[in-house]
Amino acid sequence: MAEQFYTVASDSETPADDRQQPSLPDIAIGIDIGTSQCSIAVWNGKRVELLRNTRNQKLMRSYVTFKNEVPSGGASQNLSHDEQEILSGSAVFNLKRLIGRVDTDPVVHASKTLPFLIQTLDIGDRPFIAALVNNVWRSTTPEEVLAIFLVELKVLAEVQLKRPIINVVLTVPVSFNRFQLTRIERACAMAGLHVMRLMPEPTAVALLYAQQQQQSLHENMGSGTEKVALIFNMGAGYCDVAVTATAGGVSQIKALSGSTLGGEDILDNVLRHLVPNFYSLYSSPSVDKIKSMGLLRIATQDAIHRLSSEMSVSINVDAGDGTKIFRDLDRSEFEEVNRSVFEKCERLVSQCMLDAKVVAEDITDVILVGGCSNIPKVKSLLRALCKRKEVYQGIDPLEAIVYGAALEGAIACGVNDPSGSLDLLTIQATPLSLGIRADGNALATIIHRNTAIPARKEMLFTTAHDNQTEALIMVYEGEGKKVEENRILGFFKIGGIPPAPKGSAEISVCMDIDASNSLRVFAGVFSPGTQQPLSPFIEVRMPTLDGGHEWCEALIKKYGSELDLATIPRKLQP
Amino acid sequence: MEFLTNSCSITTYTHPLIITRVPQIHHQLRLTSKTKTLSRLTSRGSIRCNGMREQKAGPMDYYELLGVSVDSTAQEIKEAYRKLQKKHHPDIAGKEGHEYTLMLNEAYHVLMREEQQRKRCKVSNNNRRGGFASDFSGSGYNSSWDGPLRSQALFVDENKCIGCRECVHCANKTFVMDETGGSARVKVQFGDDDKNIKVSVDACPVNCIHWVDSGELPLLEFLIRPQPKESYGVYGGGWERPGDVFSAAKRLKKHLEREENQCTHGHSYHEEGEGDAAEEETPAQVKARQEASMKLRLEKYFGIWSWLGEVFISK
Repeated sequence: MAEQFYTVASDSETPADDRQQPSLPDIAIGIDIGTSQCSIAVWNGKRVELLRNTRNQKLMRSYVTFKNEVPSGGASQNLSHDEQEILSGSAVFNLKRLIGRVDTDPVVHASKTLPFLIQTLDIGDRPFIAALVNNVWRSTTPEEVLAIFLVELKVLAEVQLKRPIINVVLTVPVSFNRFQLTRIERACAMAGLHVMRLMPEPTAVALLYAQQQQQSLHENMGSGTEKVALIFNMGAGYCDVAVTATAGGVSQIKALSGSTLGGEDILDNVLRHLVPNFYSLYSSPSVDKIKSMGLLRIATQDAIHRLSSEMSVSINVDAGDGTKIFRDLDRSEFEEVNRSVFEKCERLVSQCMLDAKVVAEDITDVILVGGCSNIPKVKSLLRALCKRKEVYQGIDPLEAIVYGAALEGAIACGVNDPSGSLDLLTIQATPLSLGIRADGNALATIIHRNTAIPARKEMLFTTAHDNQTEALIMVYEGEGKKVEENRILGFFKIGGIPPAPKGSAEISVCMDIDASNSLRVFAGVFSPGTQQPLSPFIEVRMPTLDGGHEWCEALIKKYGSELDLATIPRKLQP
Repeated sequence: MEFLTNSCSITTYTHPLIITRVPQIHHQLRLTSKTKTLSRLTSRGSIRCNGMREQKAGPMDYYELLGVSVDSTAQEIKEAYRKLQKKHHPDIAGKEGHEYTLMLNEAYHVLMREEQQRKRCKVSNNNRRGGFASDFSGSGYNSSWDGPLRSQALFVDENKCIGCRECVHCANKTFVMDETGGSARVKVQFGDDDKNIKVSVDACPVNCIHWVDSGELPLLEFLIRPQPKESYGVYGGGWERPGDVFSAAKRLKKHLEREENQCTHGHSYHEEGEGDAAEEETPAQVKARQEASMKLRLEKYFGIWSWLGEVFISK
């Protein structure tokens, strides 16, 4: 975006209106990278259009196969790989569940039953991932796989739109932490794409909902009352909930909650139910096991899909290695097996409603999106929680997210639409609390979760020891009371604190989140009672760290509590 | 391999987290440059958060920022907020909108919470007693502010005032004579220049003009007003005010704080109220909110004073 260096005061009344409308080629495209499927959409000047690949699919399977040394993804292949080939070990998929995670993460461990190699050493390092190429495990990383896939999507879009694509709006799960977001950005950078926005998935749906409300308002001249919508998104990898208040084309995100929970967990539960020793059989796949594992997965997945419309299905599969399934699976059994999954969904929805301070009666519409929203139990669960008979119908559950992302792309590029269908705005909220370590191992939260962004908060801290001249600012993200329960984003040291008894120095720490959700932390020292900082402030863009807590251990080993900070009473806070 | 070499060599990528230029005082801020927050946040350049010890913006500033009147309903505040967001949000206005949107978010947050508090307390108030002292109109008796909000304010202890008119003589824009009560009171805070005010304070023969914390001013001004006494048949009735207004104010404040806690905890949506507890306020916000909703809440607590057995001087 070109910076404006001169501002003429008389123009100031209509800053948004007299912006030059950028020519269409600059419009960012929206990409929804799902755990199992992905799609691209773009604002074509009149409306949002979903791009199709050469096989005329709008929804493309997310995987990259490394067969014949040349990696190729599921987006633009002329010949579709059949499902069994994807599960043959040469393809890497479900990378959204792996990206930005360390090998101690339970999600990574749960993914070990996937038919490619995931090795963990449980030391907090990134897991080793490899695909089978000509009977050799060839190593790769989730970022690399995602980048290969993004390049394919980029080429696909460039061919169809006949222009280079640089700017993209990507949707991400609510539960992604800032480190995972940087990994997504990294993958985009590798693919030559510039990320304009990383939108939490349900907020993209909220934007689409805002547009629909705005349009129906124009049509029947109804009253512009505020509508509260609960958006539930459950795909193959993640489950997100958002509560949004919409009026006049502005969608205000009231609360967000999310978890790593999705169709993969359901599939895993059912597989274990059908084949009790599934994990021990397949956790370290050998080449011949992979094929039978693939067969089992396909059969089970198919059964789960059919259970959405049928009360009972029969599964007949011979994995070829002695494992056979010949049995019926009915809906109540399926629901019982996945009870923990549905209970967790329920908790996420209640938590989100609690955070947004709404009750079921306040909600105008309940919107269900994502592949798992098709499951009857999920539907009935949401209907019960929100006390209504029907859910919102006007949204395609599989295309809503990418649609919203394309809208955001057009809005963030400053496109004006004469018919007013782009006269929209999403006011995002930050899904996780941010704070620093203080008073020993406690987390002093500076920005609370569900704060509207852009946001900025300042807090004062003081020294923990007499004549302490330096202090360490350790920045964390999460909801835990103790720092160990949260994720470290980075740390830096500030010096130049005048020697004084403990508790008398004033150290100001300020956090700033801008509209594109990037976090900056400022810190500086004041001499008590004055306005002027003693030395220049330090500004750090977070996250700076990609690892976990091993750094903290090193710091504690070297410095102990020497550089600790203490909070000061709220009464004395600015 | 082709893909990889390809993707790694692309250099056109610009990191999304480009260091933002120090925001200039944007023209959009012009209309509200009176408010302290704005001038502070913009004039400080890149480190905009280090001057927080200056006077925090009062509730008036927040209302002004959103362009709504102090008695606006939640609906009006929401509408104003959305309208301004649509104009200034960085998605629409670009990076220049950042600073302004920050303040919008802050103002909205504080005002909406205050609104919620007001609603809850109103409910509990109505439940407990049938609108005691509903004749309280507020504005007529309270002093107004000329110029910016200062930390100190003038207050006349009308119990002590002998009605000598000395202060009205020295600073007639600030003080006014209350002919019915026979005492002077403050009409406009800092209505005259500082010198005249100082002279008038010194001129008072009974030293009844006090410099008080501006946060306590509404409380004091409320308490000094004679209130109708609850009557029991032919007994009681009439008007009263606390004899020592300062100690009364102190105690009332303590009581208010206690009630406030109960109010927040007792009426939060859920007992554990994670969201509520997490969103602790800074004292400045507490102050801002308290001031704006003070009037409403003061009404019902006044009755507590007679109950506490304060010594009142009947008028």
